[in-house]
Amino acid sequence: MSKLLTVDSLTVRFSTEDGTVLAVDGASFAVAEREVLALVGESGCGKSVTALALTGLLPGTAAVSGSVHMGGQNLRGLPEARLRAIRGRDIAYVFQEPMTSLNPVLTVGRQIGEVLRRHQRLSGAAAKRRAAELLELVGIPLPVRRLSEYPHQLSGGMRQRVMIAMAVACRPRLLVADEPTTALDVTVQAGVLDVLRTLRAEIGTAILLITHDLGVVADIADRVVVMYAGRTIEEAHAEALFARPSHPYTRGLLDAVPNPARHLDGGLREIPGRVPQLSDSPDACTFADRCARADTTCRTRRPSLDPGPAGHPVRCWHPLPVPAAVTTA
Amino acid sequence: MTLELVPVKETGPAAPAPPGSRRRALRRVLRNPLAALGLVIVVVALLAAALANLVTPFPYDRTDFSAALQPPSPAHWFGTDELGRDQFSRVIFGLRASVEVGVMSVALSLVVGVPLGLLAGFYGWLDPVVSRLTDTLLAFPFLVLAVGLAAIVGPSLTIATIAIAAAQIPAVVRVTRSETLHLREMDYVAAAIADGASDAVLLGRHILPNAVNALIVQATVAVPAAIIGESVLSFLGLGVRPPTPSLGIMLASAQPLFRDGPWLVVFPGVAIVLLTLAMNLVGDGLRDALDPREVRR
Repeated sequence: MSKLLTVDSLTVRFSTEDGTVLAVDGASFAVAEREVLALVGESGCGKSVTALALTGLLPGTAAVSGSVHMGGQNLRGLPEARLRAIRGRDIAYVFQEPMTSLNPVLTVGRQIGEVLRRHQRLSGAAAKRRAAELLELVGIPLPVRRLSEYPHQLSGGMRQRVMIAMAVACRPRLLVADEPTTALDVTVQAGVLDVLRTLRAEIGTAILLITHDLGVVADIADRVVVMYAGRTIEEAHAEALFARPSHPYTRGLLDAVPNPARHLDGGLREIPGRVPQLSDSPDACTFADRCARADTTCRTRRPSLDPGPAGHPVRCWHPLPVPAAVTTA
Repeated sequence: MTLELVPVKETGPAAPAPPGSRRRALRRVLRNPLAALGLVIVVVALLAAALANLVTPFPYDRTDFSAALQPPSPAHWFGTDELGRDQFSRVIFGLRASVEVGVMSVALSLVVGVPLGLLAGFYGWLDPVVSRLTDTLLAFPFLVLAVGLAAIVGPSLTIATIAIAAAQIPAVVRVTRSETLHLREMDYVAAAIADGASDAVLLGRHILPNAVNALIVQATVAVPAAIIGESVLSFLGLGVRPPTPSLGIMLASAQPLFRDGPWLVVFPGVAIVLLTLAMNLVGDGLRDALDPREVRR
């Protein structure tokens, strides 16, 4: 599969009143055409900041370095006007809050139409027809009637579908979905994930899915990049990651998923401590303070992202061994 | 693993054509008896002013010395003044001048103030400039400004309108600015940015339409203030020129005749009070009805 988007050494620092905060620390990953890549990690790991940095959506207090290549050009360093043309057309976003992400005074049709008008110069009847098709595509019944409705007349799941319809209106090559299902209840979540799957099949868009929900990852992702404290720490195909996690943090995330079978003996395991807020990139493993396997090396030398025992890249001095049962499988 | 597409629940029983939230707000205003009364008075006054030529029994400047200084009677409902002019006709025409100045000056203050407020709220670096300018305007006494303008250009209704508008611009800028500061942080603005919207689109399609409620309330409070302002300026001889009546001029010219013809003061005075009171009632009702903090019913 050819690379659609390549992120290399992306670093984001915020200057705050309490000094600088290192939000993303040299993140590198690539998204292939038509791929669903999940970016996972706890809150505060830099997932959303990474996503926003792709098209320069971070506020002025952010200092960004590194490169984001798409279609032969580095998006970083493009002037704002060029980025504006890319946003919504080549790279589109769906955010977490469907209840507040639609403008309350504009009808659904107007809001979808606005995107079409902006990037494809459609107007009037053509935009309306296309908007109805999009609503149909994201599984909204009676699409033509919905066009003339206001956001407050729609449920949360419907609004998120409308947001997705707006995002894919111009057939973007990459859809960045930042916690698209977090604010929705479980049955509605499943519906929204189904919509994302349909989109990939029908318009061939790649999806960068940002989530902390490993159930969502298992459901839809092809590959997974695990982030911790601004660094990418493990990267693998979804099945490989679930079967053979190499980084102790990934293992911890998997163990923290509620599992009725495991609850019988010992209950839910959690990772002690919390994500550190760094002001600078330490020459150490950022997970060392919470890791049972950490030793002096972990605290004094920075691990690099190298192929681990399970065959996929992991950033750890002491990666977990591959479980015996799985190696033979 | 396959997932059934979850059937999406309809929101409520087949709703009729989308009732705009503004239409519901209007219904809520009408449920408030005071606001409804205010609205009736305002509509009657506006109609009377607009159709002044049809509803008045006499031309406003027709003198009749045989019937000078008459108290109210079936022929002259509001009595006559020292020149025998029909006061009812003059109050209606005076209403027209007052409403004209009131509406025009508020419109002018909106035309100038709203863009300034939008820019000040949206572009942080412009904010200090605009805010200090409006502070300066605010610190400038309204009457001094009006007298100064009238002294330079000569008194006229246009000058009165401009002076009143200038006095109201700071309030419009502040309301718009604070709404913009609040609205630009909304998720749908962030979403629009991520969709590639330009600043003009953000301001014109996402921020301004959401600020309209606050501006409607602001305007309904500003119009009566402007009407009083017109009365004050005309009373001082800085607004409408006689013989054209305005409510303020009628009060001013009735002042020396107060003992002989108290009705000359009472009717224009009551007209001003009623009109401004009614508009304030409507404004209050609208504020309650459009207040986003109030739970939607």
